[in-house]
Amino acid sequence: MTATIPPGPVLVASGVSKDYPMNGGEAVHALRGVSLEIQRGEFIAVTGPSGSGKSTLLQLMGGIDTPTSGTVEILGTRLGSLSDRELTRLRLTRLGFIFQRFHLLPVLTARENVELPMAEAGVPRPARQERARELLQYVGLAHRAGHRATQLSGGEMQRVAIARALANRPALLLADEPTGELDASTGREILALFRRLHQDGTTIVVVTHDEHLAEQAGRIIHMLDGRVQAADS
Amino acid sequence: MSGLGWGLKSLRRHRLRAVLSVAGIAISAALLLDMVMLSGGIERSFTELLLSRGYQIRLTPKGTLPFDTEATLTGAGRLVEAIRRVPAVAAAGAVLGTSLHARRGDSLVTLFGYGIQPEAQALYTMLSGSDLAPGDSSGVLLSEPASRLLHAAVGDSVTLIGRLDPQVVTERLGRTLKVSGIVRWVYDYRGQPSVGTVLSVMQSLAGQRRDDRASLLTVRAEDDSLAATVAAGLRREFPQLEVNSVADLVRHFKQRLVYFRQLAYILGSMSLVVTVLLIGTLLTINVNERLGEIATLRALGISRRTVIREIMLEGAVLTTVGSIIGIVLGLGTARYLDSILTSFPGLPAAFSFFVPRRDSLATAGIVLLLTGTLAALYPAWLAATSPVAATLRAEAT
Repeated sequence: MTATIPPGPVLVASGVSKDYPMNGGEAVHALRGVSLEIQRGEFIAVTGPSGSGKSTLLQLMGGIDTPTSGTVEILGTRLGSLSDRELTRLRLTRLGFIFQRFHLLPVLTARENVELPMAEAGVPRPARQERARELLQYVGLAHRAGHRATQLSGGEMQRVAIARALANRPALLLADEPTGELDASTGREILALFRRLHQDGTTIVVVTHDEHLAEQAGRIIHMLDGRVQAADS
Repeated sequence: MSGLGWGLKSLRRHRLRAVLSVAGIAISAALLLDMVMLSGGIERSFTELLLSRGYQIRLTPKGTLPFDTEATLTGAGRLVEAIRRVPAVAAAGAVLGTSLHARRGDSLVTLFGYGIQPEAQALYTMLSGSDLAPGDSSGVLLSEPASRLLHAAVGDSVTLIGRLDPQVVTERLGRTLKVSGIVRWVYDYRGQPSVGTVLSVMQSLAGQRRDDRASLLTVRAEDDSLAATVAAGLRREFPQLEVNSVADLVRHFKQRLVYFRQLAYILGSMSLVVTVLLIGTLLTINVNERLGEIATLRALGISRRTVIREIMLEGAVLTTVGSIIGIVLGLGTARYLDSILTSFPGLPAAFSFFVPRRDSLATAGIVLLLTGTLAALYPAWLAATSPVAATLRAEAT
């Protein structure tokens, strides 16, 4: 499935706050009035200590969670105005997610895991199989296409997860600590893959503690206590 | 439509758990099928038994049911002639049932005797030899157990003794007859030694000739659809007799065996509850273990509908596989139970408690599939409504 991407910023977040209610009645302020704009082809790293609100920001940008206040727009569409079904569709066709723990389906092969979002989007079997082959080739795992996720190493699983995230040609790739579960050498491989994705024009936002990965980004957003502390280019 | 069947493939993760669940469902399915067969089987079997020779109506002494008591009616020949003249009656015959004896070497053995009118009989089918001709007073028909007991085959002679002097146990009424044929008596219990002669011979042996007595009269209407009308007409014309159509007899029979139906309903319902619990528990455990995975799928854009469909499919597949095994198991169990139950004294050997029929199988199958699908509803709802962000946060810590 090829989604036509309209002109303008890929993502605009305006005054986004997120509070989590606690048992005692007090709320935890995970995000406090964050605003940012992501342009097409940008590679952004979001860094900061644990609990600074990085992952929450990523979830709000990805329409997985809803802000307590403020708005998030993706390609001009305000996420708050969408129904659950529309939001799910938008995540499927416009966004790609990469998680720290890969979250591949262990019962499916690498190829089937990559096919999954395309199958949901209604891509015919031959087309999605071809696309899955291309993507596995891209991440250097064509030879492991028929292996189940459980038969892959951590680095291989993350590369399959990246291929899966790219399956429906997303406008924005969101990655949450993609090297967090990997050793240094495997992390470097993933890093190289992100660099290549950026060079190929993919818009990427990576939440990371990994300084090497952050250094690859065109812009680094530092977060502290739910606020954007600094943005370095 | 994902077409990848990830939900279904997830069952492979815990093969032993899935196999044990399927085994449990199979046992429940077998029990349900047996209960469905039992609840309708007795009625069907009894109806088929009564209609096996096409006679839809029975007339007995007032207040009795066929062979329920030793009561007899008088003037059987006259009644049969009168009944045969009733419009829409195709055939009518009289039957006298009595116990009698036969000589085997130096000893006597006890038999059950049927006095019949061969031209209108509703009681037997020929196995070998030839049928009695109307009015044949020299021939006798034997059941296979009687043939074995008397060591008599077609063409041999047997001596039947109707009554014994109770004081000295000596024979008072005896008759030597030639075996004309071996038959299967429809209402005989397993291993019952029975013999049949024309009505007049049996009446003589039983000492019932003078009043022309019979235990019951059987009537065949020209068409099954006319049976109720003919029965009503006979009821009006012969108020001194008890007139029962097959439907009436089945109703009486059902009243007597109502506890079998109740048992069937209770056990059948219990089997369904067990199926629901098994599938519901298995899938809920599976879903709870996979909440993180499902949240990931939802984050990737997999719709709630797809998640529900995949979980429901798991339930449907577990139920289908369990049901197929259960049907085979249920048929085998029914056969075994039937052999035990039909060996009870007084029950016709041709009678079945469990009648395997397509509609029984279909009913059990449909009920199970619906049950399995319904049982998957809760885990499917659980999977589809789990909060994506919170689950992913919990997974990350």
